[in-house]
Amino acid sequence: MTRRFGRTELPEEIEAMVRRAVRLEWISLAFLASAVTVVYLVMGSSQAMQAAWAEDLLSLIPPIAFLAAVRLTRRRPSARHPYGYHRAVGVGHLASAVALLAMGLFLVFDSASGLLMQEHPPVGLVVVLGHEVWSGWLMVAAMVYTGIPPVLLGRAKMPLARALHDRVLYADADMNKADWMTAAGSIVGVLGIGAGIWWADSAAALFISVSILRDGVTNMRVAAGALMDERAQTYDGNDPHPLVQEVDDAVARHAWVDQNRSRIRDEGHVFHAEVFIVPGVDAVDVEDLTGLREEVAALDWKLEDVVVTVVDEIPEALTAPERSSTGPHDAD
Amino acid sequence: MWSAAACSFPQDPDGTLKRVTGGVLRVGVSENPPFTRWPGGAPEAGESGEPSGTEVELVSAFAASLDAEVAWVPGSEADLMTRLEESELDVVIAGLQATTPWSSHAAITYPYATSIDDKGEEVRHVMAVAMGENGLLTTLESFLLAQDLAP
Repeated sequence: MTRRFGRTELPEEIEAMVRRAVRLEWISLAFLASAVTVVYLVMGSSQAMQAAWAEDLLSLIPPIAFLAAVRLTRRRPSARHPYGYHRAVGVGHLASAVALLAMGLFLVFDSASGLLMQEHPPVGLVVVLGHEVWSGWLMVAAMVYTGIPPVLLGRAKMPLARALHDRVLYADADMNKADWMTAAGSIVGVLGIGAGIWWADSAAALFISVSILRDGVTNMRVAAGALMDERAQTYDGNDPHPLVQEVDDAVARHAWVDQNRSRIRDEGHVFHAEVFIVPGVDAVDVEDLTGLREEVAALDWKLEDVVVTVVDEIPEALTAPERSSTGPHDAD
Repeated sequence: MWSAAACSFPQDPDGTLKRVTGGVLRVGVSENPPFTRWPGGAPEAGESGEPSGTEVELVSAFAASLDAEVAWVPGSEADLMTRLEESELDVVIAGLQATTPWSSHAAITYPYATSIDDKGEEVRHVMAVAMGENGLLTTLESFLLAQDLAP
């Protein structure tokens, strides 16, 4: 089966990456389902463990969003959806960001109040297979189990997210990579309880909650920016996408072009490009225009939906100088 | 075993187990036969009385294992739980069950025994320990589990 992003036929190596990413996300879902179950069984009264559980539960959303988006974006553009279904990626991304943000806020409040109220978490014995075990040791074991695989999964997903220009996958990989901190934080919290330091647990929970909240804020900013037709940025949202410059350079090489700029937005995996040209000649050939369109589209698999238009002046926003050197969020 | 000695893991934030060992264990007793009884009626302030019942016997034996005296304190369940939260008591016994709503006010032990009630449903019996005093909690749990109590 040939995979496609809308009307974009994917090059073979990209198609293989999509298949690989889909497989990794299914593995993530299976692992997370087991992690959520294990942590739920042992979390008891530890706030840090409860926060880690919430994070594991939330980690289910990005893989689901990615799998749903890949399915949806395969559809071809139609009369009703002439741009295709690429925005499904953005919708999934925003949904994950909102979930992270809301849960982060709740957990920060919950663990901070635990500290202020000086709650002393009780962690007693349980009997497992006829042996008495302090439940703290079970919590530590569960955290070791849930802490290591996500880091490996995250490292495997990251290069795919980069190559596929998929922000949901990137957000997911980024969260996975940071998962060991959650696990380590919980372990410190639980061992702290064992050492008789009552605030260790709430403090660890607060640390985990702040990291969830930070993930939420970052993702929200990037997702909202993409949905508001921000200029195409790199997968992490930090820099202008290099294709913008490449397109401008390719167009400028033609003798009949006097001035040119392109307006490129990120539809999800693929870009939608509008190339504005002020010609240096009185009459422009139709063949020149269609040839240029094909040339631009051939620059990268992400560029398929390209519009070339002749104008007497480049739109003002495209010629305005960049206000900040880092670029993406001028108001920052 | 790590929970057998006062210097072991987990520790108490407020050092209750250390204080009780060779000292006094303060136990709240709310009447709930056959687990807890005040045979002569609960003593008024200033009077002293001796409770009886299965849980009273268990706690007496536990205190003996720590070389501790027991100060028995009468009161209603609600009253005793409040005093447990305010660190005026170390343990509360009241024929509590594992489903007790007091779990947000006190540390509930691992069930030390199970029985079957009139409706044929399983009842798991527990005691309450001051919140977060995990050294005392695990030592008591370990002691109770070692008693090999018949349901």
